[in-house]
Amino acid sequence: MAQTEDRRRITVRLMVLQVSVVVTFAALAIGFWFLQIVQHTQFEEMAENNHQRTLALRAPRGVLFDRDGKVLVENRLSFTVSIVREHTKDLDRTIRLLAAVAGLDISTVRQIVDRHRGEPAYRPIVVIEDASLSQVAAIMARRLDFELPDVVVEQVPMRQYPADALAAHLFGYVGEASDSQIGEGVTSGAIVGQSGIERVYNRLLMGQDGARRVVVNSMGREIRTLEEVPPVEGRRVQLTIDYELQKAAEEGFRHAGFTGAALIMDPRNGEVLSYVSLPAYDPNDFAAGIDRATWASLNADRLKPLQNRAIQGRYSPGSIFKIVVATAALEEGLVTPDYRVSCGGGATFYGHYYKCWLKGGHGSVDMRHAIEQSCNVYFYTLGNMLGVDRIHKWADKLGLAGKTGIDLPNEQESLVPSTEWKLERFGEKWYAGETISVAIGQGQVSVTPASLAVMISTIANGGTRVTPHLIRAVDEGGGWKIATPPAVASTGLFRPETLAALHDGLWMVVNGHGTGGRARIPGLDVAGKTGTAQVISNKGRQAARGSDVDLRDHGWFVFFAPRDNPEIAGVIFGEHNEHGYLGAPIARHVIETYFAKKDGRPLPTLAPMPAPAAPEADPDLAPLEDQVPVAAATARAAARGTH
Amino acid sequence: MFERRLYHHVDWGLLVAVLALCAVGLVQIYSATGGWTPIVQMQIYGVVLGLVALVICLSVDYRSLADKSHLIYVGIIGLLVYVLFFGAVRGGSRRWIDLGVFNVQPSEFVKAALALVLAKFFGDSRRAVVTRADLFVAGAVTAIPLVLVAQQPDLGTAATLIPVAFAVVYVAGMPMRILGVLALVGVLAAPMAWKFALQDYQRERISTFLDPAQDARGAGYQQIQARITVGSGGAWGKGFQEGTQGQLRFLPVAHNDFIFSVLAEEQGFAGVIVVLGLYLFVILRSLESARLAKDRLGAYLAMGVLASFAFQVMYNITMSAGLAPVKGLTLPLMSYGGSSMIATLAGFGLVLNVRMRRFTN
Repeated sequence: MAQTEDRRRITVRLMVLQVSVVVTFAALAIGFWFLQIVQHTQFEEMAENNHQRTLALRAPRGVLFDRDGKVLVENRLSFTVSIVREHTKDLDRTIRLLAAVAGLDISTVRQIVDRHRGEPAYRPIVVIEDASLSQVAAIMARRLDFELPDVVVEQVPMRQYPADALAAHLFGYVGEASDSQIGEGVTSGAIVGQSGIERVYNRLLMGQDGARRVVVNSMGREIRTLEEVPPVEGRRVQLTIDYELQKAAEEGFRHAGFTGAALIMDPRNGEVLSYVSLPAYDPNDFAAGIDRATWASLNADRLKPLQNRAIQGRYSPGSIFKIVVATAALEEGLVTPDYRVSCGGGATFYGHYYKCWLKGGHGSVDMRHAIEQSCNVYFYTLGNMLGVDRIHKWADKLGLAGKTGIDLPNEQESLVPSTEWKLERFGEKWYAGETISVAIGQGQVSVTPASLAVMISTIANGGTRVTPHLIRAVDEGGGWKIATPPAVASTGLFRPETLAALHDGLWMVVNGHGTGGRARIPGLDVAGKTGTAQVISNKGRQAARGSDVDLRDHGWFVFFAPRDNPEIAGVIFGEHNEHGYLGAPIARHVIETYFAKKDGRPLPTLAPMPAPAAPEADPDLAPLEDQVPVAAATARAAARGTH
Repeated sequence: MFERRLYHHVDWGLLVAVLALCAVGLVQIYSATGGWTPIVQMQIYGVVLGLVALVICLSVDYRSLADKSHLIYVGIIGLLVYVLFFGAVRGGSRRWIDLGVFNVQPSEFVKAALALVLAKFFGDSRRAVVTRADLFVAGAVTAIPLVLVAQQPDLGTAATLIPVAFAVVYVAGMPMRILGVLALVGVLAAPMAWKFALQDYQRERISTFLDPAQDARGAGYQQIQARITVGSGGAWGKGFQEGTQGQLRFLPVAHNDFIFSVLAEEQGFAGVIVVLGLYLFVILRSLESARLAKDRLGAYLAMGVLASFAFQVMYNITMSAGLAPVKGLTLPLMSYGGSSMIATLAGFGLVLNVRMRRFTN
């Protein structure tokens, strides 16, 4: 009896267990069904993110050559060190260890990591750009010891610019794409041109980043490559720049001891041979991601090394503008080159007495001598005959109004006033008296060095306004293809007698009794003109005395050579160098280099600085107080207009 | 000793299922360790030795074995004590006896020994119900090896002894009332155990189980990875040796504790269902042995052996799917481990023994 009861109890309890087991297994099967069937897609993606990593292969940017095929800007291999947080257990430990191994400041590394904390964990956070070899060696050793499995060292191409910041503003610099630059082939973290040619031709130069999809294990070690799309190098681009002329111009500035800008080009086609803006920055500092301190000091620098003076600096052209007035008067048929004006040291217009720079006056001068001597009274007279609108019209034809259209970013517009402009801008009518100061390049005339280069080129080639440009040829993959030059802005051939008078006058400036003697080259007919850009009126100068702002005048020198059929033309702008003629030696050095190279002669070298000579009488200096009321009045008007 | 006619009563179905699971385990270990490794070879030795042990446990009448159960029990306890003092240390635990060629893990054999001794104790009992005195004895007999194993420390294996005792006393007729009281005590004791009995890392494992994301790189890592491993397998799996999670070591001890996850990843839901089916078959078939047993001793013995097996299988598979806290519990028959394989197969020898001898006197 007990036996059977025993057996029954066992059977019942075993049944209970049996049912429990079946239920448990059914529950397990359902659990697996949920994970493997229902949520499969989600987990599959997670598994893929676990073990696959896409590494960007940065494309080398296109190499820049000079017009003779000399390499100007290239790429070198560099190492970047990044942290991939994907499998990091203790990020702080990694940061501390990496900082210690690489000799970095922990808080700096932490800041960098914090900045990218929101990004997906598989994306590498670049901690060191352009790591030194000793840093790389130290990190790799720790990596092999599995101490830094989440630190990745990659080889990437890095932009390399010439030494001495050569043509820095021309090349510009590169940097990580900002949010607004992302799109159209530019992805987050891509390196794009931020300034200069790097920016304007970024599309050509950038190339196409490649990618490598790799399988990694749980230690983050690469096991094998699944797929690799090699990077495509950017297009090779040949510039119109001539390396030797570029160097000659920058050496000239260094030798002369002042900063400024220069734009030297072939007046026949607008090819820019040399492009200078000083002081400059070193674009190499940007290539590896500029550090805050360097960036801050560049921005805070009173000399403004980031400003691209040749196209962004606007200054009053001073006596250089007399060329425009002469051209206008001749081409409008108001005068002939033989038209004479008697200069007695000054003249009265509209009740105001305007001085010439030469106290005793020049006596009776014709056009050629007026240019040579830079006689103010002659050009006051022409200006008065022309009126401001015809001056504006010819300034525009010569390329002095608006932009030159050079292929560089952020060019400023040059300004030559007109009645229409004044009405629009200030709502005031033009006073004929204002024209008098405009005639000698003062008042509201405000131009960039680049626009003066275009102006002198137009004078040199006889009336064709070319567009300065920087690209000569592009290698689209199948060899060099000559780039289509920009269309000529306007052609209006000057009358032969206009041309002869202008060229003669400008030739006499250098080779006669003018102010450009320092540009004279025996056997070569250099033509040119000096000018002074007042930084501040004489009255203002007195008011500002004692402040540490540099108030010394800027000096101009525009030139072309040779006089007949010119091949080279340009402008030298000397910042606060006080005298236009001080730019002439720079021009001479560039011209000499140009012709020496052309004729296969050894290139000239600059002699050591001569002892400072006694200041010469400078005819470009402002004709003193008479202009001040006008300038001040318009300055006030300008201030009102901006409100 | 082994009569020819007994041969016909061997449960061939159960044996085939058990061997099929061993084979699946070998294949997955081969895949997880990346080929013909020493680990695979060791596992084959384990299966072979296990089959020898199975045959031995099958040949001797379980009743004679039960008569010697106290000696076996005392012997094993002796080994456990020996291990505590002279055992080989690996990964911070002292669990193994180093025999030069291989290591033996005595705790694996405790389960069968405990099943034997408890079966014998309750099988001999003249009373139809389990008294408190019986419970006390059973508790003491279980507690001694449990404490010794826990000291190694090997909480996982120690925990598998509890189902053995429970299964035997349950089938032996423990009043439901006492079962209820025990359950209540368990619930009340849990917070105390949480506070005093558990180590920090154990508490951490349980708390991260409840919320793995709170420590996705630390203790919750394995659990998340286990779910990814299983889930990414899909219906048909990624294929033999194609599982990325196991092959690239995102899941630790893939050939050991997480072998079922690897199976799920490479063979998919289909493979999971086949293997779950095999385990279910083995368990139900063993319950059948207990039901068919000629005497109470046989029923209790089969139950005792089955209890730790079933507990370990269900817990490990749940853990493999990331649905239970990660604990060092292997999957019997499939996970890598020689001692476990030998002990488990020996246990099935006992189960087969009970069924085979259901008609003998």
